[in-house]
Amino acid sequence: MNNDTVSTDVLIIGGGPAGLATAIHLADTLKQKGQGQRILLIEKGSSIGSHIISGAVIKPEVFKELLPEVDISEIPFNAKVIKDNTVLLSENGHLALPFHIPYMNNIGNYTASLGQICKYLAVKAQEKGVEIYTGFAVDEILYKDGKVTGAKTKDTGLDHHGHQLENFQAGTSIEAKITVFAEGTRGSLAKMLIKKFNLSKDRNEQIYSLGCKELWSVPQGNIEAGQIYHTMGYPLNNDEFGGGFIYGLNDNKVAVGLVVGLDYKDPSFDVHDAMQVWKTTSLVSRILKGGKLLEYGAKTLPEGGYYAVPKLYVDHALIVGDSAGLVTMPALKGTHLAIKSGMLAAQTAANALINNDCSEKSLQQYEVLMKASFIHNEMHVVRNTRQGFAKGLIIGGLHFGTQLISGGAGFFGRLRTHADHETTSKVSELKKKPFRERFKGKLEFDKVLTFDKATDIYHSGVYHDEQQVVHLHIHDQEKFNAINIEEYGAPEQFFCSSEVYELHTNKDGKKELRIHAENCMHCKTCDIKTPGERITWVVPNGGNGPDFQNM
Amino acid sequence: MALTIITLIKQVPVPSEMRMGEDGLMDRTKAKSIINIDCTFGLEAGLQLKKQNPDAKLIVCSMGPGSFETALRTAISMGYDEAYLLSDRKLGGSDTYATGLAISTMLKHLGFTKDSKEPYIILAGRQTSDGDTAHVPSQVAEAIGIPQATFVESVKADGSGNVIAKRIIEGGYQMMKLPMPCVISLTPTGIPPRKPSLSGAIKARNLKITTFGIDDIGLGTEKIGISGSPTIVAKVVNMVSERPPITMSEGHNEASLVDSLIANLKKGGNVMEKKEAIAKKDSERPDFPEKDFRNGARGIITWAEITNGNVSRPSLELLTPARRLANQLGNDTKVMTLIIGKNVQPLARILIEHGSDEVILVDDEKLEEYLVLPFSSIFEQVIKVRKPEIALFAATTSGRELAPRIGMKTDSGVTADCTGLEIGEYINKKEKVIYTHILESRRPTYGESKLATILGFVCPQVSTARAGTFEVPERVEGKQGIVSTFNPVLKDQDFVVEILKTVRGGGGLQNLFEADIIISGGRGTTNDNLGLIKALAEALKSQGVNAEWACSRPVVDEGVAEYARQVGQTGKTIRPKVYVAVGISGAIQHVAGMKEAEKVIAIDHNPKANIFHNADFGICGEYQDILPELIERVKAGFTFGIEPKKTF
Repeated sequence: MNNDTVSTDVLIIGGGPAGLATAIHLADTLKQKGQGQRILLIEKGSSIGSHIISGAVIKPEVFKELLPEVDISEIPFNAKVIKDNTVLLSENGHLALPFHIPYMNNIGNYTASLGQICKYLAVKAQEKGVEIYTGFAVDEILYKDGKVTGAKTKDTGLDHHGHQLENFQAGTSIEAKITVFAEGTRGSLAKMLIKKFNLSKDRNEQIYSLGCKELWSVPQGNIEAGQIYHTMGYPLNNDEFGGGFIYGLNDNKVAVGLVVGLDYKDPSFDVHDAMQVWKTTSLVSRILKGGKLLEYGAKTLPEGGYYAVPKLYVDHALIVGDSAGLVTMPALKGTHLAIKSGMLAAQTAANALINNDCSEKSLQQYEVLMKASFIHNEMHVVRNTRQGFAKGLIIGGLHFGTQLISGGAGFFGRLRTHADHETTSKVSELKKKPFRERFKGKLEFDKVLTFDKATDIYHSGVYHDEQQVVHLHIHDQEKFNAINIEEYGAPEQFFCSSEVYELHTNKDGKKELRIHAENCMHCKTCDIKTPGERITWVVPNGGNGPDFQNM
Repeated sequence: MALTIITLIKQVPVPSEMRMGEDGLMDRTKAKSIINIDCTFGLEAGLQLKKQNPDAKLIVCSMGPGSFETALRTAISMGYDEAYLLSDRKLGGSDTYATGLAISTMLKHLGFTKDSKEPYIILAGRQTSDGDTAHVPSQVAEAIGIPQATFVESVKADGSGNVIAKRIIEGGYQMMKLPMPCVISLTPTGIPPRKPSLSGAIKARNLKITTFGIDDIGLGTEKIGISGSPTIVAKVVNMVSERPPITMSEGHNEASLVDSLIANLKKGGNVMEKKEAIAKKDSERPDFPEKDFRNGARGIITWAEITNGNVSRPSLELLTPARRLANQLGNDTKVMTLIIGKNVQPLARILIEHGSDEVILVDDEKLEEYLVLPFSSIFEQVIKVRKPEIALFAATTSGRELAPRIGMKTDSGVTADCTGLEIGEYINKKEKVIYTHILESRRPTYGESKLATILGFVCPQVSTARAGTFEVPERVEGKQGIVSTFNPVLKDQDFVVEILKTVRGGGGLQNLFEADIIISGGRGTTNDNLGLIKALAEALKSQGVNAEWACSRPVVDEGVAEYARQVGQTGKTIRPKVYVAVGISGAIQHVAGMKEAEKVIAIDHNPKANIFHNADFGICGEYQDILPELIERVKAGFTFGIEPKKTF
C-alpha cells in the first residue's frame, strides 16, 4: 500500500503554458500518427491557473500553431492592445518617450490573465485525452542506472520534523518513458536535474527578476481597455534594472506591477515596497484613483536570456518554458516561447515514443528544432541585452545601442553575468543610501492606494497546511546568523514578496530570522537571492500556495 | 464477514464565501465548495478503521446535487472504494428530519438495515458548517433503528463486533462500547484528514459513482423536500456586529507594543457607530382565518440533564425561555421538566424553585448514566401521554443528540442551538391561513452572520437552546409545584451500549463563568504547554483579580488542556469583563464562545488572523515576546482596568 506506483508514457510536471502546450501538441501529434500513448500532467496548485501569474501582454500567433482547429476569438484573452506607451518616470512627474524601445511594441498583442488562458488550455488538453491531476506536489526525481525514470509525489501527513503522523499518505511513484519538466521559473526539480547532469556547463548563470503585481477594479474612465503603459526610471536607480507596467483590461480592471532585476546591490531593497512607492507617482495613482485592490501576487522570471539557457535534454527527460529560462529581454515575454518550446518538446517526444528510443541522442532533436524556430531567432538577437544592463542603465543603454547596430553581438561576443545571490552588498559596503532612507516618508502605506505586505498577501488567497516540514530550508544556521543576518542585515526580510521572513530582535538585542512559511507566494526569490545560497525552496504539500483567480 | 465502513459526507460552500438566497435557503451556485470539515474527520476515521481491518470495504455516501460527485471523488482519492450519491430535485429544501429519512432509506436500500447479517459502521461528521445542527447522524441512527455515539473523537473496532468510541462531553469524555451496526459522528478534533494520493486520484477519475433518485430507493415524496419537511426557515436577517473596529498597538518591540496597549485601554478604544434603526415595514396582517395547528397539544416540557449529581447549569438556564414562552402562550400554560436518573427525587425541588410547574421523575438504577437510546425512548413515552406543544433541550453534547432522535420518533423535526425563542404567528399566503401560537426558534447561522427563524408544524415543536445564552432564572426558595412519577417501559435492546468510563475534569468549569478576566491560549501557544498563559493568569490572581485561564479547541485536541477549559461553540460560552485571546486564530466556532465578553484583547503573530476582527484591542507579535512583558507589567500593578479585590 505504501509502494504506490503508476506508469505512463509521458509525465509532464507543471500545468503552466509550457506544460499544457506540451500535453496538447503531444496528444495531437500522437493522434495524427494513429498512436494513443498515455499523457499525465501534474500541477502543484489546487487548480490549473491558481499558481499562474504574468503581466500579461501576449503575442497571439503561437496559439494558432498550438490549436489550429480553434478560432482565435475562442481563447479567453482580455483586451487587444490599442495604445502602447513607454514613459520615463521621475519622482515628480513623467515624460512619455516619443519612441518605443525596440522589440517592445505591443500593438496587436493581447492583454490577458495567463491563469485564465491556462484554465482554457487545460480543458482543451483534457478533451484530447490528457489526464490532469492538480493539487499534487512532485518533490523527487526517480532514477535508475543514472537515468531519469519518472518522479514521485510528496509524502504527506508529516509533522514539522518530518515524522509520520497517523494520517500519513505515501507519495505515488510515477514511472514514465519521458518526463517533461515544466515547473516554471526556478523549478525545484529542474534545478536538481540541471545540477546532477551539469546542464549549465559553459553557460551563463541564470539571473532573474522579481515582479510584484496587483489587479485592481477602477472607476470607468480611469484607463481604457487595451491601453498599456511601460514605465522606466523612478523609483529605480540607474543600477537597478526594471520597470513598471500598467495594462488596461476589460470591465474597468487594470493590472499594475513592478519588475526589478534581482542583481541589485542594496540588501534592504524591497520590490513590493518599491512597487507601492511607484503607485504613488501621478501617472499610476491617477489610474488607480477611486479603485479597489482585487488581487496580489508575485513571481520571479528568468531573464538571463540566450546564454543562460541550459542544455534542455538528457536521457528520458526534457525541460521546457520558464524552467528552461526561455524569456526574451527586453520585451519580458515568455508565454509564446513557453508554448513553442512545449510544442517542440512534444514533437521530439512523439518521435521518440514512436521509435521507441527515448535516449539523450533521440531527444537531441529538441535542440535542433529549437535552433530552427523563432525561439532561437528572438532570443539570439537580444542575447546580450540583459547582461549589458547589469553594468547600469547608462552603460547598458550604450551596449543595447551597439547591439542594435551589430545584430546583438555588441562590442564583445558574449557578456557574462553573476548569479543574483552574489550581487548583494554587505550593509557596510553599500555605497548608496539604503532603501528605507531613500524612500523615507513614502513607506507608510495608507491602505487605500498603497498596502503593506500583510494586506497584499491577504489578496492572494495563500494557504499552507500547518502540519508539514517547513518548505524553506536554511542551510548552516550558524553561518546564516553570522553572515546573512549580521553582515547583510537579513535581506530575506526585504526581498521576500510575501513576508515569509521576519527578523526578530528581542529585548536583549538577540536577532533571529523567523519563517512564516504559510505566507509563501511560491515566487522563489529566496532560493535565488539569498547570499551564499543559504535558503533552498522545496515544494510544500500539493494544493498549498496562492490561489490566484485572474492573475 | 467482512466489515463495511460507510461514511456520510456533505459538500458545503467554503464557510467564508457562503451566500444565502432570498428564500433563506442556501445558494450553492456562487461559492467554491469543499467537503464539510467535520465530514473529512469522518472520512479519516474510516481510513483509520481500515488500518486495523485491512479487509474492510470503505463506502462513501452523500445526498445533494450532481456537483457533489466532486466530494465523493475526493474521498475515493483518499482511499475509499465505492461511492453513492442520492440526488433528486424533489429532495430540494429538505430539513434535517427529511435528510435523515432520505439518507437512511438509501442505506437500507443498499442492504444496511437493523438486522443486517454483515457488520457495518456508519461514520459521519458531527455537524455541517452550512447547517450547524448535528442532527442528521442521530436521525439516520433512529430511522435505521441502531445505536449511536455522537461527538466522538476517536473510534476503534475491538475485534469482536463492537466499536469503542471516545465521546466528548461537557467537562470531559466518555469511553463507550457499541455493538455493530451503529452510527458514529466525529468531531473535528480527532485525526485530521489525510491528503489524497495521486494513485487514489487516478482511481477516482475512472470510478463510476452510483447515483440514485428517490424512485430508485423507494422513497415517497410525502416527508421530504420543502413541502414534506416538518420545519421551515421562515425568515433570515443579518446579524449586526456588536463590536467596533479594533485598535491595534503600535511599537517596534514588545515593551513599546505593551505601552501602546495600556495607553489604548486607557483611551477606551473605538466605539460603535450608531446605525439608524430602520423602521420595520411589517406588511399588514391579512384578514385570513386563524388556525391553531397544535391539535390539542399543550404545555412546555424541558429536559433536566444531570452532571456530577446535580442539575446542569444549561438545564436551569432553559427554564428562563420556558417560563417566558409559557407566559406568551397564556391560558395557564404549564412548564414541565422531565428528569431521568437514579435517586433524582431531591433534585425536583431545585427545578421547581427555578420555575418548573411540574417535575416528572423517572427513577431507575439502570438510568444512572445518560444513554441516548433509553432516554429518547422514555421521552417519547412521556410525550405520548402528556402531549406537550413544545419540548426544549439545552444544546449540550447530550441534548444535541437526544433532541433529534426524539424529533425523528415524533416526526416533528428539530431546531438546533437556538439563541432566541418566541411565540409568534405564521401567515401562510398559499393556504390563506394564519398559524397562531407557533414557536419561533431563532438561531445564528452561516458563520454567525445571519439569524434564521425556524418554524415547526408538528407538535411537539422541538428546539435546543445554546448553553450560556439565557441566564439561570432566580431561585425562589419554598416555591411549590407538582412532583409526579412516570414509569416507562424499558427494553433490553435500549441498553446495548455500554459506558466503559466517564472522565470529567475538575476545576475551571464554574470559575470560567465567574472570572472577570480570562486569558485564553490557542494553538499558537502550546510550545510551552500554555506556561505563559497560566503565568499571566496567576500574576493577575496575585494582584487580587478574579482571573482564569482558558483555551481554544486545538489546545484541547493536542491534550495540553482539559475540555472544561475550552471556550467556543462546542465548549463554553463565557462573558467576562476582559477576554485576552493569545495565539488564537479566531475561528467562528471560537468567536461564538467569547463574543459576549465586554472587552476583547487579541495577541497573535498573524496580522491576517480573524481574531483581530472580533477584538477591541490588538497586538501583532509573537506571544513568547509579548506575554513576559505583560506579566511584568501586571506584577507592577497593571490589571487591564479591572479593580482588584483585595481579599488578603
